This record gives sequence, C-alpha cells and structure tokens, in this order.
Amino acid sequence: MWSGDKVNRFYNIHTLWMMLVLLTLITYGLSFIDANGTAIMLVLIIVAFAKGVMIIRDYMGLKGVSLLWKVIMYGWLSVVCLAIVVAYLVS
Amino acid sequence: MNKHPKPIPGDLAMWIIIFAELLVFGIFFIAYAIVRINNVELFNDSQLTINRETGALNTILLITASYFVVMAIHALKKNLSKKSSHYLYASIACGSLFILIKSIEFQDKFSAGIDIGTNTFYMFYFLLTLFHYFHVILGLMILFVVAIKTQKGHYNAEQTHAMETAGSYWHMVDLVWIIMFPLIYVVR
Repeated sequence: MWSGDKVNRFYNIHTLWMMLVLLTLITYGLSFIDANGTAIMLVLIIVAFAKGVMIIRDYMGLKGVSLLWKVIMYGWLSVVCLAIVVAYLVS
Repeated sequence: MNKHPKPIPGDLAMWIIIFAELLVFGIFFIAYAIVRINNVELFNDSQLTINRETGALNTILLITASYFVVMAIHALKKNLSKKSSHYLYASIACGSLFILIKSIEFQDKFSAGIDIGTNTFYMFYFLLTLFHYFHVILGLMILFVVAIKTQKGHYNAEQTHAMETAGSYWHMVDLVWIIMFPLIYVVR
C-alpha cells in the first residue's frame, strides 16, 4: 500500500485523495461541455490515466516492487487507455 | 542502498485474480470502444440518458473507500487495531453507499423500461456496471471479514498480509471504476 512513509508536506495520502477527488470533479465538469471533440476526449482519458497511475503506484503500493508487476499493471492501464483513444479517433 | 525490489503487497494468489479480472474488464472496455465506432450517434444519445451526478458521486465514494483502506493499513502497522478496524468500517460504509446509489440507478432504468436488450449501448452499460457492481459486493464482503478479525485483535503490525490482500482487491475495484466512469458516463 502507500509507501510514502516519510512525511511529505505536499504529496501524501491525504493530498493524494484530494487530487483524486479534484480530478473526478474536473471529469464531471467536462461532461457539461457540449463538445464531442477530440481535445475533450483526450483530456478525459489523460485524467483517467493519471488517476489510474496514482491508484496503482500509491494506493496499491506498487512503487518499488519488481519491474514485472509494474509492467503488467501500467501496461494494462496504457493499453486500455490507448485503445479507447484510437477507437474514438477513428469513429 | 537496498537494490532488491520490495515484495508485492498481499497474497500472490489475489494478484493473479486481480490480473485476470483486469484482463476481462480491459477486454470489455476495448470492445465498448470498438463497437461504438459504428454506432456513435446511438452511444452518444443513450449516454445522455444516464445520470452523471451519481456516476461522479460514486467515483468519489470509491476513491474515499480506498483512502480509508490505506489508512487502515497504516494504523495496523502502528499496532492500532481498533483504529484500523474503524477505518475499514468507514471504507465499508462508502462502498455500501456506492451499492445503494447504483441500485437506485438500476431501479430507475428498469422502471423506465430500459434494460440490457434496449440497445447496444445499454447492453454494455448493464454488462459492465453490473459486473463491476458484483465485484464491489465481493470486495465489501472481504473487507467486512477483515474488519471483524482486526477488531477482535487477530492482526497486528507484524500481520498485515490479510489486510493488504483485501486492500489490493478493493483498489482493483476502484481502478476499474476510474476508467469506467469517463468511458460510460462522460466521453462522447
């Protein structure tokens, strides 16, 4: 789990939670923009990707584990996000 | 400086289950995006009929539930079993609220005559969200068992393995929803 045992004033489990909530509110806010444009889609997927990285690294505690586990988890996240972007771009 | 990587948190068997679950969800997500290519209008119109507010609220609830799980593990590592169990109960409360809100959302759709056979978008909507819904319920059951055992003092600072295993599963449920929320509710 969270491996940031050292006290970090700006990046700790509490600020991480706040960032995740803030990014969720940004996603929600963007849903009101009546634009099915590529830019909005890209921002939404990038935000989801960033949230995924935070969960994998800091909530699941994969920071510092062997490369294999990281490749599987970040690989899954990257492939899924990339496939969604490509599918939306060609639609 | 220690060059050895730290072990993966929790039980290896649980991680194999997590990878299998992620693979299945990943295939569903990609299938949704591919099928949408030839049904853009249908998907966009149908998407506007689902409740973004409950989707956002549920995302915040799952993120908060995960936060409490991490706090519970922190507390257990300091041998604060009671405090740890309280964090787990807080997490269970957030997860239960998610289930309640999602159940209301499903009920609303069913009473409006919308179900899995309505159209292709709704087929994916129900398939993905119901599949995830059952994972949340399973995650809640696992957390509940661990919370009771923690409260009874079965775990301590040297025995965090079970809680880390339960936590890993819960975070997987959270991770899947993090992709599902924008994909199903927002991106057009």
